[in-house]
Amino acid sequence: MGIIPYIVVSCVLFVCGIIVMIARKNIIGILLGIELVLNAAALNFVTFTKFNNLNLDGHIFALFIILVAAAEAAVGLAIVIRFFQVRESVHIDSATQLQS
Amino acid sequence: MEYSLLTILPIVLLPFFAFVLNAFIVKKFTKTAVALSCVAIFIPFLMALRIFADFVFNKYSADYYIHKTFTWFDLSAGTQIFKVQMGIYLDNMSAVMLLMVTGVAFLIHLFSTYYMHDDARYGRFFVYLSLFTSAMLGLVLSDNLFSVFIFWELMGFCSYSLIGFYYEKEGAGNASIKAFMTTRVGDVFFLLGIVALWSTVGSVSYVEIYKAIAESSLSSPVFLFGFGIPLATFAGFCIFMGTIGKSAQFPLQVWLPDAMFGPTPCSALIHAATMVAAGVYLSLRMYPLMDAGGLLEFIAYIGGITALGAATIALVQTDIKAVLAYSTISQLGYMVLGIGVGAYNASLMHLITHAVFKACLFLSAGSVIHALHDHHTHAPVQEMPRMGGLRKKLPYTFLAMLFCTLAISGVPLFSAFVSKDRILGDALLMATHSSTYIIPAILGLCGAFLTPFYMFRMMFLTFFGEPRDVELNKHAHHEHFSFNRNLPLLILSVFTLGFWYSGSLTGQGELKVFPESKYEWFQVLVEKPDLNKFLGRTSTPLAVPESKEFIEHSHYDPNHGITSEEEAHHVHLVHRVGAIASVVIALSAIFLAYCMYISKKFSPAWWTSNFARWTKALQNRYYFDHLYIDILIKRLLHPLNNLLAWIDMGLYDRYAVDGWERVLAFSYSVARWFDNIIIDSVLVDGSGISVRFFNIVLRTIQNGKIQFYFLVLLFVLASYVLAFKPVI
Repeated sequence: MGIIPYIVVSCVLFVCGIIVMIARKNIIGILLGIELVLNAAALNFVTFTKFNNLNLDGHIFALFIILVAAAEAAVGLAIVIRFFQVRESVHIDSATQLQS
Repeated sequence: MEYSLLTILPIVLLPFFAFVLNAFIVKKFTKTAVALSCVAIFIPFLMALRIFADFVFNKYSADYYIHKTFTWFDLSAGTQIFKVQMGIYLDNMSAVMLLMVTGVAFLIHLFSTYYMHDDARYGRFFVYLSLFTSAMLGLVLSDNLFSVFIFWELMGFCSYSLIGFYYEKEGAGNASIKAFMTTRVGDVFFLLGIVALWSTVGSVSYVEIYKAIAESSLSSPVFLFGFGIPLATFAGFCIFMGTIGKSAQFPLQVWLPDAMFGPTPCSALIHAATMVAAGVYLSLRMYPLMDAGGLLEFIAYIGGITALGAATIALVQTDIKAVLAYSTISQLGYMVLGIGVGAYNASLMHLITHAVFKACLFLSAGSVIHALHDHHTHAPVQEMPRMGGLRKKLPYTFLAMLFCTLAISGVPLFSAFVSKDRILGDALLMATHSSTYIIPAILGLCGAFLTPFYMFRMMFLTFFGEPRDVELNKHAHHEHFSFNRNLPLLILSVFTLGFWYSGSLTGQGELKVFPESKYEWFQVLVEKPDLNKFLGRTSTPLAVPESKEFIEHSHYDPNHGITSEEEAHHVHLVHRVGAIASVVIALSAIFLAYCMYISKKFSPAWWTSNFARWTKALQNRYYFDHLYIDILIKRLLHPLNNLLAWIDMGLYDRYAVDGWERVLAFSYSVARWFDNIIIDSVLVDGSGISVRFFNIVLRTIQNGKIQFYFLVLLFVLASYVLAFKPVI
């Protein structure tokens, strides 16, 4: 099996993540989209490591990405909870406090 | 005697202060103002008398002088020296002039209190008189040409105001303007002469000019229209033109007869005794310059022509003041002739004697005019054909006028015989030396024949015979002695006697009344400045009293500095011939006048009919007014004026000024367009629009929508990726 199916899967994942990030108005949904994008990136690392280099850099990087994604999800969800407490909504357009 | 500020300056300042004060108080306190004016001239008279006595009785050398200066303004910067100094120059000549001016002016002030008393502008007359006297005294005391010029113009202004004093009278205004403008012609030249001297000498004081002449630094040529003439000639000519204007010499004599529109005392003071004599005084002061410039023959010719020409015009005048006016011009011509023939002392003497008797003549004429009053026109009468037989009505006036007429005629024992005879004698002497002087001498002698004739014609027509206008004569008041009417006349007529001025009848040492030469005080007093004595002398500051260091007695030299016996004999012979000739001439002229106007042996009508064209020419004053007004002004100056006006209005205004205006209007519209379009619309509004545009752009981009930012990020990343294609 060649490299193309891997990249196609990761592209699909990436594009799905982007579309979710842009199209969804729910903050949790957007966080999910970000997870998808991160996962697409992690999949790319693993794929290119597997096919091009014989060292483990990409794998380790994928592990880091999973770690960062977990931390990011934790922080993001915390913000969302806090945001919900203030605005009683998780709609992205109601986050207007930073606007002048 | 000490000479300090206090003993000299009040001579000028007192009349001036009287003028300033009177100008304010004259309407309310006329009598006070008049008294003030009279006192303000009497005190300078006493001071002048003191100076005169000091100079005459202490017998200073003719070259002794007191020169005090102060710096008027100093614009010197670095090596460029520009310093204008004013000052006082007092020598024997100034002393004599001061006494004459103050004395005559005081008597005329006194007479004016009688003559002008009923005039509506009684006080104003005295205001002008004070200013005039101050200016004249300032001119006499001036040490430089510049202040002379200032006082000269001030006198011109007073003359102008007093000629136009009766401005209701038709012609008075025109006469005043004519006098002012005619003298102005000479004054322009005078100023030019001052500038020429200033540019070379660096100063215009007499002493500096004498020094420069002694060092012969004035012979450098000036270039006029390509011709180089010596500076002394140029400057001397210009200054003499000032004399021609002020002293009414040919060809600028036309203003003086018209000046008779003024009140008679002002004619006596300004147009007979002092102001017109100031021109001669200036020429006497500048005599070394004229001499150095070789102008004396020219001056002699001008004087001779004026002396004879004015005398001939006086023959046909019927107005008593006009006769005296032409007589004044004629006598001034003698003074100028005297300068021209080098009779420096005689010329000044004639100036003094003439001032005395002519002032007296004018005052007498004023007395006559005041006595005659036409009951139809309510105007004083000046026409001699309406007079006659006034001898009994006006005895004192007659006496004074007779003395003065005898004096001006050159009858022995009287003053003009002394002074005029010396001028004519020197003219004859010069004629024997140089043939160019023959014509001026002949002109002078012919004038000397006409002078007694027209003066006695005036006397006979006025005082003798039967009254020609009986009604007028009947109304004339009989003259009673009054101090302000007759006293000035009688005092002045006493000083028409010759012995006041000279110890000998002719003044030349001939026919001595007193054998000693010490009675020739006038000839001892004044002589031509010895230029070499001026080298190395300096002036003293004004505040420092004068110390007497060089008092040198000078002595009258009956031989006039001639050492050779043969030459002295020749001089004596010529002078004797001149003296005899003038006595014969004067007496025969008086006899002729007697025959014509008293015994009626010859009829004047015979002359006027047989010499009709001459008479007409004389009555029209040789057509000089016609020449100046109709030909010079109307034919030449008016077209020139029109041409210049056309150049100014038609060319310069129309093309240069209006054209420039159009250029400016065009550039204005360009500038306006540029301002409106480029500056306002593009730059000012454009910067606003651009701000607003970027506002819209940035506001649109920074809309606070997080997902929009994601999109932008995505596009930016995508464009980076696409821009930097990895080289595979």
